[in-house]
Amino acid sequence: MQKTLRQLHEEIKNGVLTIEALVEGCKKTIKEKDGDVHAMLGMYSDALVTSQIAKAKDMFAKGTATTLTGIPVVLKDNILVKGEVATGGSKILEHYVATYDATVVKKLKEAGAILLGRANMDEFAMGGSTENSAYGETKNPHDLTKVAGGSSGGSSAVVAYGGVPVSLGSDTGGSIRQPASFCGIVGLKTTYGEVSRFGVMAMGSSFDQIGPFGNTVEDVREVYNVIKGHDVMDATSLPEDDKSKEKSVLKKVIGVPVSFVNQKGVNAEVLANFNASLEKFKQEGYLIKDITISHLEKALSVYYVIMFAEVSSNLARYDGIRYGLSHPGETSIRSYFESRTAGFGPEVRRRILLGTYVLSSGYYDAYYNKANLVRNILKKEFAKSFTDIDVIATPTSPIPAFALGEKSHDPLSMYLADIFTVPVNIVGVPAISVPSGKTSTGLPLGMQFIAPHNREDLLFTYGEELERLY
Amino acid sequence: MSFTELDLDNLSKLARIDILPDEKQKMLVDMQAILGYISEINEVEGELMRGEEDVINVVREDVVTHETGSNTVVILEEAPSVKDGYVKVEQVLK
Repeated sequence: MQKTLRQLHEEIKNGVLTIEALVEGCKKTIKEKDGDVHAMLGMYSDALVTSQIAKAKDMFAKGTATTLTGIPVVLKDNILVKGEVATGGSKILEHYVATYDATVVKKLKEAGAILLGRANMDEFAMGGSTENSAYGETKNPHDLTKVAGGSSGGSSAVVAYGGVPVSLGSDTGGSIRQPASFCGIVGLKTTYGEVSRFGVMAMGSSFDQIGPFGNTVEDVREVYNVIKGHDVMDATSLPEDDKSKEKSVLKKVIGVPVSFVNQKGVNAEVLANFNASLEKFKQEGYLIKDITISHLEKALSVYYVIMFAEVSSNLARYDGIRYGLSHPGETSIRSYFESRTAGFGPEVRRRILLGTYVLSSGYYDAYYNKANLVRNILKKEFAKSFTDIDVIATPTSPIPAFALGEKSHDPLSMYLADIFTVPVNIVGVPAISVPSGKTSTGLPLGMQFIAPHNREDLLFTYGEELERLY
Repeated sequence: MSFTELDLDNLSKLARIDILPDEKQKMLVDMQAILGYISEINEVEGELMRGEEDVINVVREDVVTHETGSNTVVILEEAPSVKDGYVKVEQVLK
């Protein structure tokens, strides 16, 4: 059993554990385990680690230490740390050195966390298995023949094998929750606007959120409390006074879109496990309410249309002119073609092309506008359904961790694995994945709780209840 | 609505991405499958009116926040080609 952040904090405070020993222990575990798993793309410079250790020790000495002070943390490689390489899992940024700190990095540094290294990911967060990384796939620590999930597969796997207690990932359509579920840990997707994205490589800007991975709900909450907050550098950051401060009384009612959960393609063991979890809640006095959300079955299409569109716009910046891989062509315009074709992998190129298509004048109304129409309907539907329930529950993923290579040649089948996670990003609400046991072959399963905007507190309440029941 | 090889060629030009000859057929088949799937949203009736979305514009004050040149050196270090404090590119008009 891994120690929690609070336990580690007490041990450091009481002199039972030194920060140096904790950092060395993490490095040793990564060295031992990462050869097989490949969760990590690289370690941050000794200078950064050493200066943060000094800062953390100083904070303990002065009595200003927080729960994250002295705690080693790994970051998904799309988060910028000044002076350190950040590749986004792409060849186009293989040698890119970040010129500034992301806001979450600034906050972690201020809290005295020890930033240890960069985690593997699908190229620019596009994928659900980390097989789209330009630097090789991440394997599942529970079964090396299976994927770790994605796109934050590295951030998830390194926590699952005990390399660090907590890490950060990003979630555009399930990229924190799904790998957390596949690796048997907790992953939180925060409310849209809750955590600043300044300094994070953009993929789908109307969906992207940063969030933590941890072994327990409590650990994830500790990190969440440090990284959240308004930031003038992110125009989508929620103003503090805009948030609903009012916390309603717990209704003890869980909404389940029963027919949506029971759709074709959902693994039988996943369903049985989900129903067993609901049964446990029932026995604790919770009410399970069958809810219907109109157009929910279209959520996946809505997500992919808008995400493709945003990808094609966001990735226009990688042109080989200002930074990143540059392949000179015969003319200046050919340089764009050469650099982008050489720098982007197949899935990224496919999504840019699809995004260019749905935004092209002949198809804009048929795809992009329609998707936004349905998105608006879904927002209203979700708000309506939350009036008499606390949270919505679904399995996190319709299937347990799949075999390496099983879906990598069929992009559509990979997309279909996102059915339960994408509606959350479309609507912008927060959601958490919490372990709910294992399959007969020992693969972890996860349960997803979805709460109204700014109600992460409900996710922690329900998540901790589930932890207690298992 | 069918997605053809010509569509793919046109998109390639717009997106500034070459389609490699040996991947063209697979790219075409995959994109046809994906577009076939996401076309289901066309079944939804209605149209989104401008202003109907609950989004607002967020802009900062129009004031200078950085001293000119304060980040130039560190940013230009990442550029592949530099001259006299500027990013250097191929001549556009010849």
